[in-house]
Amino acid sequence: MTKIVKHSISLACLFLCCGFVIIKNKELLFDYPEYWPKPNYNFSKLSMTEDEFQLGRHLFYDPILSKDNTISCASCHLQATGFTHVDHDLSHGIEGRIGTRNSLSIMNLAWNSSFMWDGGVNHLEVQALAPISSANEMDESLEHVVEKLKASKKYNSLFYKVHNDSLITGQKTLLALTQFVVMLNSYNSKYDKYIRKEVGGEFTEQEKNGLNIFRNNCASCHKEPLFNSNDFKNNGLAVDATLNDYGRMMITKNTNDSLKFKVPTLRNIQFTQPYMHDGRFETIQEVITHYTSGIQHSKTLAKELENPLALTHKEKVDLLVFLRTLTDKEFLFNKRFSYPKDQ
Amino acid sequence: MFLLNFKLKYLIAILPLILTQVIFTKSYSQENKEDLNIVLVSKFGEEHILKDTWYITETKDSIQISKIKFYLTDFKIGSKRGKGQSINNSNHLIDVFDKNTLNIVLPNVDISTCNEVLFNIGVEEEMNTSGALSGDLDPSKGMYWSWQSGYINFKFEGKSPSCETRKNKFQFHIGGYQKPFTTTRPITILAKSIKDNTLTIILDFSKIFKSINLNSTNQVIIPGKEAFDLAEILPTLFSVDD
Repeated sequence: MTKIVKHSISLACLFLCCGFVIIKNKELLFDYPEYWPKPNYNFSKLSMTEDEFQLGRHLFYDPILSKDNTISCASCHLQATGFTHVDHDLSHGIEGRIGTRNSLSIMNLAWNSSFMWDGGVNHLEVQALAPISSANEMDESLEHVVEKLKASKKYNSLFYKVHNDSLITGQKTLLALTQFVVMLNSYNSKYDKYIRKEVGGEFTEQEKNGLNIFRNNCASCHKEPLFNSNDFKNNGLAVDATLNDYGRMMITKNTNDSLKFKVPTLRNIQFTQPYMHDGRFETIQEVITHYTSGIQHSKTLAKELENPLALTHKEKVDLLVFLRTLTDKEFLFNKRFSYPKDQ
Repeated sequence: MFLLNFKLKYLIAILPLILTQVIFTKSYSQENKEDLNIVLVSKFGEEHILKDTWYITETKDSIQISKIKFYLTDFKIGSKRGKGQSINNSNHLIDVFDKNTLNIVLPNVDISTCNEVLFNIGVEEEMNTSGALSGDLDPSKGMYWSWQSGYINFKFEGKSPSCETRKNKFQFHIGGYQKPFTTTRPITILAKSIKDNTLTIILDFSKIFKSINLNSTNQVIIPGKEAFDLAEILPTLFSVDD
């Protein structure tokens, strides 16, 4: 009898322990629609645990990453506006310093093969180094960020939860940020529901017409279903003489890349204004007008834009109405991605 | 049954032979695997190099050196018996003014069959495109560019009155993994220079100034043609005592 009791107790303990292990290391599922392409990002270095996601979330929203502890990633990447900076053509950093480009939105990053407007960053895990060390953004060094994190009780405990040791390194910091941002996926817009024939995805005639116009005029660069491409294109913007930004060429030193910039995603475009690498257009209407009548011809102009888009006023309106179906409120207001409550 | 018996007998007969072979091979290979110590000695011409000390270059420029940091990576041991040996995770950040970084230990090397030691100055392309790495390759070591991903393979900073720059500084941050301006350079050293399990490598930094004119070349801090040209000089810094 005692033997049975003993065995039962040990078994119960074993199950309890297993339970704790499972709860502690709750695995994250990287979920996306089955008809989407496979992501580019190789997840092997991430723990894919809730703890690492939460650590990354804390880091993303913490101004500790900037030199004077005033600016966090979220300062230029606000969730409600598709994780980008609105109301400023050029994003600004610490002490009101103004950068040279409009911040990009953050979503569906696992499908990108390079990062930043000029593709200068070759891997998602090292992307955060750029804003951290840029003088006009956070003006900090990863080395010093690690020192500050080491001195923080909160981060010692958060890193310990993920790695079971309290040694904070640059790599672990970058991986945690990656674990958070790689989960920022948007695939529940009205357009997505239309494609999946789900409730809430019923398109009006105008939206259907807008989708057709989009497919005939825009989709060769802004490819479905991500509405971007990993290419760099010169989309016919006149050079802003106050910036003299030649984009991709500044990275490759190849004159064939002059004036080429990343083809950004159009998902959640309704809220990601201003538009273009230098934020020169405040409204989507201005963007459409650029493609119909504002293209500047030069040697490296995208061949897709050699002839301007020919759209009637009604077609422009339909296109605009369609672009609004790319708004994904489940993503923009998902509480898992918002400012974390202190633990 | 007969067949089974025969097979079993045969197996029992050769088993001791196999075991002996296994034990012999194992002990033989263990006995011959030792630590190979690599000692880096930094010089400026004939003198030992010191931080912020005046030196005269061959082209008669006065200079002081404040920082020399570089990567030695991907060590391999060439063998007289065919296949060589790659040393795992042998990526080392060397700081000439931090003596703790000047001794590299390569573990489990078969020194008796070693005929050459190979390594790279700088970090290979694959590691430049693999995201955030750990150890000496951690991007927090100050040897990683942020605006254009990739390692700075070699950092060399100082000052000279010949440089018409702010505070007469010169700065060479040599890096870049993309063709045609790759800056990683392979080095091969013959094993006859190994003495008492130690390979002493001499680095003579005065050689950098043989090929450059400090008046015109004093700030190279991005990948490109100039960084490529400087990278071509780097292997000439390495030598061993005969």
